[in-house]
Amino acid sequence: MTLQIQNLGRRVGQQWIVRQLNLQVDDGECVALVGPSGCGKSSTLRLIAGLDAVSEGEIFFDQTKVTHAMAAQRAVGMVFQSYALLPHLSVTANLELGLRVRGVRPSDRQQRIQAMLDLVQLQDRADVLPAQLSGGQRQRVALARALLRDPEVYLLDEPMSNLDAQLREELRPELRRLVLNRQKPVIHVTHDQHEAMAIADRIAVLHSGRIQQVATPAELYHHPETLFIAKFIGRPQINCLRPSNGVVCAVRPESLTFASEGIPCKLISREWLGSSQLLYLDSPQGPLRLSCSTAVDIPETIHVSWKASDEHHFDAASGIRLP
Amino acid sequence: MIALLLVPALLLLVVVFVGPLFRYAWLSFHADSVITGLIAISNGGANWLRLVQDQRYWQDLFQTLRFAGVSVGLELVLALLIALLLDQRWRGRDVVRTLALIPWALPTTVMALGWRWIFNTPYGPVDHLTKIIGLGSLNILGDPSLTWMATVWADVWKTTPFAALILLAGLQTIPGDLYEALRLEGGNALICLRRITLPLLRPYILLALLFRLAQAFGVFDLIQVLTGGGPASSTESIALYAYWNALRFLDFGYSATIIMASFILISLICVIAWIALQLIIPTHSKSRGAVSS
Repeated sequence: MTLQIQNLGRRVGQQWIVRQLNLQVDDGECVALVGPSGCGKSSTLRLIAGLDAVSEGEIFFDQTKVTHAMAAQRAVGMVFQSYALLPHLSVTANLELGLRVRGVRPSDRQQRIQAMLDLVQLQDRADVLPAQLSGGQRQRVALARALLRDPEVYLLDEPMSNLDAQLREELRPELRRLVLNRQKPVIHVTHDQHEAMAIADRIAVLHSGRIQQVATPAELYHHPETLFIAKFIGRPQINCLRPSNGVVCAVRPESLTFASEGIPCKLISREWLGSSQLLYLDSPQGPLRLSCSTAVDIPETIHVSWKASDEHHFDAASGIRLP
Repeated sequence: MIALLLVPALLLLVVVFVGPLFRYAWLSFHADSVITGLIAISNGGANWLRLVQDQRYWQDLFQTLRFAGVSVGLELVLALLIALLLDQRWRGRDVVRTLALIPWALPTTVMALGWRWIFNTPYGPVDHLTKIIGLGSLNILGDPSLTWMATVWADVWKTTPFAALILLAGLQTIPGDLYEALRLEGGNALICLRRITLPLLRPYILLALLFRLAQAFGVFDLIQVLTGGGPASSTESIALYAYWNALRFLDFGYSATIIMASFILISLICVIAWIALQLIIPTHSKSRGAVSS
């Protein structure tokens, strides 16, 4: 199965929520959609699922055009941010409802639910209500429901954003085991770039309803196509020097090194991050962030420099990368 | 100490509700009328015996139950339809939402007077209409088999907005992604209604049902103004009968007995309605309507 999106757009009133979106997701590939709130990433997912109407462009599942097909006919497995579990039904009943609606025979239903509960390791929680489950367990029920759909495409709408940071990290391998190994296209919407980098094969960065760049996490980090992406991807954030001659020069904090010659700086403050430390510096070029090992001694008078090859150049007006 | 804050509310409740209730309970075992010189004289269970043998009481009880059952039943169905409609997005919805409340906002006596003129024979528009469509002059407020329907009609017209408002509030607590998740599986509107809306709306339906049943069972002003209980006491409600016994016949003992009997009955009806609704809309929810977050 290949999911292909061509020139996709959605307009509400006069405003384009999503516009000119092109993306191809292959079998077993996971593409993360990232971007600030309101950039259109969830809207894109809803268009693929068939929950919202497409204004222009096409969506293909393999050769089949599904642009205007009913949601139910698309065979997508979606995990909602809120999990969308019915509060008055037990875990089993929640899972059963979809099967029942699709006309699966009762004996088959029981068997498939049982197998699924084993897979997501919730056998002992089969008869409790969602309210009695922990956040992580609810998420696994929502995943189980999507898996039971036996879909052609998996759509994950911020599946972990309601969980705390530690649980999120614990669930990543789980997500890999359950969904990413299924040899189906997966689209994962998230506002957490760490999650995107950890899970996705490729990342699509959206801004104002348009994709700015689709690339592997490494490519995105080392060769951001726009200043927006350079700032959006990578924490601590990239340093942007004062524009000169219409060019913005940006340097990653870890590319900065102490030097005897270089830009003289004043130390403003310092964050200790365990494996590294982050220095906030004030320079004639504007404020700088410098990331270095905690083993490094900070010199009395600070001069910093960096290799020319670590510089990223962007057009100040358009924000587009310059060669 | 915090319990002290409840005192004003409790005091009010005691003064306007619990107090009179005990007074009525006590009075129902006493003769207290013009004959006794308006002095309460204990007469054992004589009032209650009279109630059991009172043909008119049983007739009024039947009429009251018929009125309450039919109008509340109709109201809930209509209110659910209206609430579902007002929950959808369409042009002019907000205007309609406000306009829909007008019947409910009108004082009952005013709207009852209005309906009395509308149903008037031969000058009302309804009479005009029935003549046009060939049914002839029906004399709606003069024919006992029709008049009770006119009272139901007026009550449904007035109180459906109230029930719709409660149900609409309930509908708005149901998260949209529950419907979307079911839509992805192929659930149509009917399945969504049965599997999501009705179960999650149950506490609100229950609330509307209990409010309206208790209110309809005690109906007074609407009938007093629209028909005066007539013709031939065919629309007389229990409240009307109790009122006449107390304030027309000045028989306070017997009136108190009627009111006590109604109180016991309406309490029973509400309990039964509550249990029945649990059976009609089954869920095994322990946290009623609570939405997982």
